[in-house]
Amino acid sequence: MEALAASRPRGRRWTNVLERPSVLASVLISPAVVFILALVGGPLALAIYLSFTNAIGGSLHGKWIGLGNFRHEWTNPAFQDAVWHTFLFTVISQAIVLVVAGLLAHALLKQFPGKWLLRFLILLPWAAPLPLSLMGWTWIFDTTYSIINWTLQHLHLVSTVSPPQWLAQPRLAMGSVIAVHAWRIIPFATVIFLAGLASIPKEVDDAAAIDGATGLRKFWSVSLPLQLPIATVALLFGIVFTATDMAVVYILTNGGPPPSDATEMVTTWAYKTGIESGSLGAGAAISLFLLPVLAVVAIGMLIFARRAEVT
Amino acid sequence: MASSDDPSRREGRYDRRELIRRAGAAGISIGVAGSGFGQAFYGPLRFKGRWLKGDLTIIQWAHFVPAYDKWFTDVWSKNWGQKNDVQVKVDLILNTLLPARAAAEAASGSGHDLFFNLSPQAQFEDQVINHVEIVQEVQHKVGKIGRLAKRATYNPKTKKWFAFSDNYVPDPVVWRHDYWNGVGIAPSTWDNVRKAAPKLKAAGHPIGIGQSAELDSNMALIAFMMCFGAYVQDAKHRVTIKSKHTIEAVKFMADIFQSGETDEIFGWTPASNNNFIYSGKGSMILNAISATRTPEDLGLPFADQLYIYPIPKGPVRRLGLEHVMGSYSIWKFAQNIAAAKQFMADLEINYKDAFVASKFYNFPTFPGALPYKKIQKLAAADTHKPRGKYQILTTIAQKYTVNPGYPGYTNAAFSEVFGKFLIPKMFAQVSQGKLSAADAVSAADHDFKDIYTKWRKLGKI
Amino acid sequence: MDAMLRGFRERGLSYLIVGPFAIVLAFPFYVMVITAFKQQRDFYDLSHSPYWFHKGPTLSNARFLFNETQYTTWLRNTVIVGVVVVLITLVLAVPAGYALARLSGKLGQSVGVGIFLTYLVPPTLLFLPLFSVITQLDRQTSRFLHFHVRGSIWSLVLVYPSFTVPFATWLLMGFFKTIPRELEDAALIDGASRLGTLVRIVFPISVPGILTVVIFSFSLVVNEFVYAFTFISASTHRTLSTGVYTDLIRGDLPQWGAIMVASLIPSIPLALLYNTFLDRFIAGFTGGAFR
Repeated sequence: MEALAASRPRGRRWTNVLERPSVLASVLISPAVVFILALVGGPLALAIYLSFTNAIGGSLHGKWIGLGNFRHEWTNPAFQDAVWHTFLFTVISQAIVLVVAGLLAHALLKQFPGKWLLRFLILLPWAAPLPLSLMGWTWIFDTTYSIINWTLQHLHLVSTVSPPQWLAQPRLAMGSVIAVHAWRIIPFATVIFLAGLASIPKEVDDAAAIDGATGLRKFWSVSLPLQLPIATVALLFGIVFTATDMAVVYILTNGGPPPSDATEMVTTWAYKTGIESGSLGAGAAISLFLLPVLAVVAIGMLIFARRAEVT
Repeated sequence: MASSDDPSRREGRYDRRELIRRAGAAGISIGVAGSGFGQAFYGPLRFKGRWLKGDLTIIQWAHFVPAYDKWFTDVWSKNWGQKNDVQVKVDLILNTLLPARAAAEAASGSGHDLFFNLSPQAQFEDQVINHVEIVQEVQHKVGKIGRLAKRATYNPKTKKWFAFSDNYVPDPVVWRHDYWNGVGIAPSTWDNVRKAAPKLKAAGHPIGIGQSAELDSNMALIAFMMCFGAYVQDAKHRVTIKSKHTIEAVKFMADIFQSGETDEIFGWTPASNNNFIYSGKGSMILNAISATRTPEDLGLPFADQLYIYPIPKGPVRRLGLEHVMGSYSIWKFAQNIAAAKQFMADLEINYKDAFVASKFYNFPTFPGALPYKKIQKLAAADTHKPRGKYQILTTIAQKYTVNPGYPGYTNAAFSEVFGKFLIPKMFAQVSQGKLSAADAVSAADHDFKDIYTKWRKLGKI
Repeated sequence: MDAMLRGFRERGLSYLIVGPFAIVLAFPFYVMVITAFKQQRDFYDLSHSPYWFHKGPTLSNARFLFNETQYTTWLRNTVIVGVVVVLITLVLAVPAGYALARLSGKLGQSVGVGIFLTYLVPPTLLFLPLFSVITQLDRQTSRFLHFHVRGSIWSLVLVYPSFTVPFATWLLMGFFKTIPRELEDAALIDGASRLGTLVRIVFPISVPGILTVVIFSFSLVVNEFVYAFTFISASTHRTLSTGVYTDLIRGDLPQWGAIMVASLIPSIPLALLYNTFLDRFIAGFTGGAFR
């Protein structure tokens, strides 16, 4: 290949330079890398610096206190609870997403009447701008006007005066944020799974049919292994997204309800500490905690996905 | 909200002109500042219809009374701007988003000239100017600043006025006259409230004093504590939460919760206690008069049955807080400090219009700007039933309203306790039976002392 | 007969699975529709059913939204930001994704993972430093641009690619890897330059991948909320996510009817759009590069 390239007429020199894979690669990658370094790397470095200081209010500098923030938060029960909640929230919501999206993707593979409409309905949670659909949910869960409670009350299943409080009772609150978050991610995951399923070459399908593998056996020994890489990647994105996004919890419960703060996540706790209470350094330290954890999880899952790749 | 002929609509052109204007404004600001602050630019609207030279940017909350915002942007700011050759631009934002916005502006050293919040931002003391000149200018014209505002915006340790408060909102108790009549009691004392609670709940109309991580709960519970003689800090800013008064208060509220309230109070937002009343379910809340004005506007059938009273009396006293306190801060790095100061002073001196535009929600922090007698007259003329019900607001304002942090000042440490909603947390722990009253109070004491130590070390209290 | 019964059973199973989920997923939108057109007095009244109109539907909420707020401006701003950010993302991520998939071997793997790791940084950590960066930039450029980047939607346009580009690069890297090398090698043997191959052979085939990136990036932009309310305060410059949240909640009173109308208007077209592209995107996976 290189010999052929070398034997090309030496007319336009600059394009010849671009023939070398390494040069072309650098040229193609550098805009993205430069951009990311400037807009993520730089601020990240600043945030890391802040986490080692006692910066307060809105100032971007403070006195160096080394690991003080980290030590303080590590032993802070509020932080420990936030970590546990984040773990629960992420694992349970993603498990739900995995199962439901997997089912839906399988069911949506074939044609059937009304599929377009049903698919439209399924895509709605993902298409709706998040802060807006979340406002819809706060209304659905409203302490006085909840449509769920109205329905349950009219079916005489709950009391009129003290119906379940979907965002005010700790367990229910956790369940509600998990459900809403899963609700929002399911369409996205379904699409990814659909793509994965659709990319299974027809030959594999036919081979499986010839071998007599159908239904559950086919699913277990053929579809599942082939889907594993893409399922892993989808799961990985889901996990990262869930752990780092505070919108659902912020708008629905803001980490409450007191006193247990049952839905306080690492992201909302960082926000409360760093922004609303003004302890900027501490807030940065809390946010940073997620980084190594997620990195480890990400790398682990990526290695797993690589191994699971069936060529 | 920007008015329809606000030049900022013509975006590209405006911004270019804005830039040229800023260069001019710099010159004017220096000139004004140098010429001595005391000059008030009153007189005819000399600059009406022309491009205005100066620039003033303001950010504040979207007032629950839309008419107030309209008045503020379209009438007051516009006229003031035309009198003073300054283009005033007002941005409105949801109040819960103000802290993040303030932090961002402080961090970047660039932002609005006037930054509003519903409670004075003591934590930004170092990044704002000393607002003493505005206070002096206004006192010169209408008389002394009210004690409430002074205690909320002045730091006695650093001798700095870290904010200027133009208004505060008295916090009455809003209750359903018909429901309470039904049980034959009135909410004039907390004892009465406790007696009525189970009866009201049994009738399907529980009480609603929030214990959630939000503003209304904070205000209601701290005020409730004061009625029992329990305080977060004393006049010397030492933490005094751990006392038998606090324990009694916490137990009392737990009692009211168990007999007369429902679980929903732990998941409320500032709008929730209002909804509680609007649905007809609730029998009593502690809230500003937005809770009565909205039913009037919506024409709800029971609007006439909504009465307002001062906060119920506790075993020690009857004392409440303001519901919210509008306070503006001017950043040290603001572009047009002189205009900002003048704007605030003029607003306060002429507060009658603001009061009326806000439907009696905003009370001026300088009593001289709109004497209580005048307020009473205006309230008496209000035709909503029961007639004259808003007159009680002056009594509440004069006798039963103090600043958060009473008997001390509203300092940065108190603001942090407030901002972290530690008081509702303490109450909720006992109401839900998670901790005994003594333990919850001890835990709070521990947390508060941490915060106070931190700010003491920073030299702010 | 047998095949027909199996057909029914399979379809029945599909309906059984998809149906309930579709209802659950779409249910909040039904509530939104009803609330959007309900009179204020109607929905504050607990004795009325929230499932239908008691006093008859009304357009007053929609009228309020369009006449008394800057809603159309927010819509326009959101669309502008979305489109421009998607374009920037494509320009940055497509070449980078290709380069990482094809041209860089081992080092490419590590850079790829490195790019992905930036995706792990939570926005709550970055938004204050980023706000500073934007302010500094604004100071430097406002003079010759005659225009303030800060406080305008262009600050978002600048910042949003910071989370769409890593994600897109990563997606495209995986996608390009699935395109058989033989296609490009054939072209190279025929004498085409690398750049030419890239433009003439690879990109046309990667339309499904690009479409994916477009859809995903656009949805990320439209949903973003933390940066939007930090960087922009003027009502005229807001996007959907912040405008509705800040201008339609006054003090302690959300304008529920208007909020619901505001939420429905972008959701339905977007869902229609995604639904349409979905077929093409999946077809691209089955046809196209996979003979």
